[in-house]
Amino acid sequence: MNTIARDEHRGPAGAPRRRLVRATALALALGLAVSACGGSSGSGNEPKAGAQLDLKTATPKGTKPLDSITWNLPYEPQGIDPITSFNYAENTVLANLCESLQRLTPDFEIEPGLASKAENPTPTTWVYTIRDKVTFWDGTPLTAEDVAASLKRHLDPAQGTWWGDYFRHVKTVEATGPLQVTVTLKQPDALFNQAMATAAGAVTQKAHTTRAGKDIGTPEQGVICTGPFKFDKWRSGDSLTIVRNEHYWNPSLAALSKSITFRFIADETTAVNALRSGEIDGQYFYLPPAALGQLQQSPTGKVTLGRSLAYWALLGATKEGPYGDPKVRSALSMALDRAALGSAVFQGAAAPERAMAGPAYWGYEKDTFKAAYDKLPTGRTDLEQAEKLLADAPKGTITIGVQGSSAVHEQTGNLIKATGEKLGLKIDIRVVPVEQYGNLYNDPKAREGIDAFLSTWYGNVPDPLDAYTVFLAGGNNNFSGFGAVDADIKRARAASDPAERARIVTGIQQKVAEDVTWMPLNNLPVILYMNDRITGAVPSFPYLYYPWASGLGGK
Amino acid sequence: MKTAGLKASLTSGTARFLAGRMLGLAVVLLVASFLVYGLLYLVPGGPMAFLLGNRTGTPEQIAAIRSQYRLDDPFLVRYAGWLGDALTGDLGRSLVYRQDVTDLLAARATTTLFLVVYSATLIIVGGLVAGTVGALRGGRTDTLISGVSSLLLATPPFVIGVILVIVFARGLGWFPVFGAGDGLGDRLHHLTLPAVTLAAGSAAYLARITRACVQDELGREHVETAHSRGLSPARIIRRHVLRNAAVPVTTVVGLTVAGLLAGAVVVENVFALDGIGSLFVRAIMQRDFAVVQAVVLVLVASFVLINLIVDLLYHALDPRMAR
Repeated sequence: MNTIARDEHRGPAGAPRRRLVRATALALALGLAVSACGGSSGSGNEPKAGAQLDLKTATPKGTKPLDSITWNLPYEPQGIDPITSFNYAENTVLANLCESLQRLTPDFEIEPGLASKAENPTPTTWVYTIRDKVTFWDGTPLTAEDVAASLKRHLDPAQGTWWGDYFRHVKTVEATGPLQVTVTLKQPDALFNQAMATAAGAVTQKAHTTRAGKDIGTPEQGVICTGPFKFDKWRSGDSLTIVRNEHYWNPSLAALSKSITFRFIADETTAVNALRSGEIDGQYFYLPPAALGQLQQSPTGKVTLGRSLAYWALLGATKEGPYGDPKVRSALSMALDRAALGSAVFQGAAAPERAMAGPAYWGYEKDTFKAAYDKLPTGRTDLEQAEKLLADAPKGTITIGVQGSSAVHEQTGNLIKATGEKLGLKIDIRVVPVEQYGNLYNDPKAREGIDAFLSTWYGNVPDPLDAYTVFLAGGNNNFSGFGAVDADIKRARAASDPAERARIVTGIQQKVAEDVTWMPLNNLPVILYMNDRITGAVPSFPYLYYPWASGLGGK
Repeated sequence: MKTAGLKASLTSGTARFLAGRMLGLAVVLLVASFLVYGLLYLVPGGPMAFLLGNRTGTPEQIAAIRSQYRLDDPFLVRYAGWLGDALTGDLGRSLVYRQDVTDLLAARATTTLFLVVYSATLIIVGGLVAGTVGALRGGRTDTLISGVSSLLLATPPFVIGVILVIVFARGLGWFPVFGAGDGLGDRLHHLTLPAVTLAAGSAAYLARITRACVQDELGREHVETAHSRGLSPARIIRRHVLRNAAVPVTTVVGLTVAGLLAGAVVVENVFALDGIGSLFVRAIMQRDFAVVQAVVLVLVASFVLINLIVDLLYHALDPRMAR
């Protein structure tokens, strides 16, 4: 019913697989590996002051083309059909293959993509002028028919799109000219056009999509798109290869290197070994691997931290008991040492965050958002004030759900528990097995007895509204039934004037922060590792939708 | 006349024996598939979480997904549907990968098969040689072999794997850290460390058993008699000692090789191999019913088949035992 945001536990395969192995098999070995390799995981790894993280949006461009580059994904993609590609591995690959109507740049701007022009003649109409002389990989020209067919797939429930929330207000999609597509909305929606810069607006060839049917995006059928790289081959379980599109229309984004082969090493220790040994040239991490220190000290490569829309948070899931009281939530938030979380749990790779939509989200009206953001509580430890707040708050036990076999979850849980004890709050940590954690998001029964649970989360487009849409009344992710901003969200979505929208959104932000329904803890930067052979990957969050590998090449 | 009759009864006995085992295999597969399907059904955490992700789809969207994957059908209906398809060779479609299960399995079978055969070879050759040499040579050689095998038996496979990676892959750079390789030579190169990891404990175990059996046979009356009759030691060892020791050793080999399939799960994960084991682990986590079901059937069938081969070997080694 709202913002599409996702979380690492759902990493369909990645997280569970990695964690199972680590829990059952590598717990011992990890320590062994660390000591044997001289990588210092403890004392040598200086915690950095979180707030001063130097977050990049670019790395130096590659200067010479390479024949082949090997890149690791955190797990094997479930498929590369854009309408069901909604997670790290899938989008990392797809971003280089399929282009969208709009383009989200590494600096979080939205610029024209396959549509050279997007006009909004009435509040409920979007008219896209499709770029002329763009061809698919097989040489056929891109037409309005292809675009309309791609968007229409989201309207058919049988196709099972993962992007339905952005299409909920769409009435019709029609090719209104050879190079013109008109989208009619049931009501104005400020997020629709922005979403056209994500995989939700990706265009696949109509003929191939029809031919492939339910097999689109599988290893056998792949996709046919217009991007700077072409789908080459996918050996199920082993690797996926994309190659340079020699007839790509846009010289400024043309691929430098000839081919990229993606591998699917889910086990962190193995991935880090492969990166350090140079068998793998690079990888994006969405949570710091336990061996981040080893990568940072690698003699053969370098870690870059990038700006990101992802954050780490405690999601409220109840209206009852002590945690149902905003004063208790505020007190806990006030007392939590987010900088300690950043240095101890995230190994110095996560700055404290005070809002669900931090600076990276400010795609318009930056001043308005900055002024409002600066006024939000910083979450710096303020025990005295927190204790005052708690003086007349209800007593009882607060149960917090954390995911089993995840160091980040369990350590954060412990820190929250310790903070609560200092305040006199009794906090129980309930460890939920990794294979059941995903149910917390969809199944109210699974949340029974849990007052709040830890999660990563992110919005997709540079508009804070995208992050706050989770609080629509009745939304699946509005776990605690927070209702104070529902009307504002609807108003903001209908507000096409950026200044007006920013005003409404900062109001929503204020209410959400005061209620602490969701307690943002840390911003989670993109963690990019590249070895010394290569450079040029986009280190910032739009790598999920932007052809991040175009500039990738030799130094 | 007499010999021909014996032969005929032997062959028909073998045929009956084989037919019985095949029937048994079918029953075992059926029971296993039912149990697995049922258990997956009972475990909390349905596939919806993975199909839906964090999307906050409308009730209609969720209903569409549920009916698309037949998640609302009762257990027996789904099981019967699956069984019917399986009998026609259609193992269904993976919920998670949206691919046919047979495609998923086929792509990964080569790696696992290669790994298991490679390990089995290492176990059989290494274990038999070490055990026999230990028993026959005695003294310091025996002590050394016993010591090494104790150490290998006591060390969990993943620790062996990590040590091998640190020393031979990261340290010396002789072997790759991960992956299964292409073509025979490259595959051997890639799968050496995983195969050694998988084989080490079992080879040590086999060495112990072999040593004990050979020593046992060495002390037997007929061996001493043979000695006293002045037969050459080499002939005694070959004809009397090794041949008799072969029966218990075959049992152990059969069981360990069958067990390799299960052991491959851990090793495939550590070395990031695209095998059936790593597919299996993921499928269980994601409640990918069709995939779990298919892998279990493959594992059970292999287990039963390996046991069948062991029985046939008994038959060849000592026809009296086949009854």
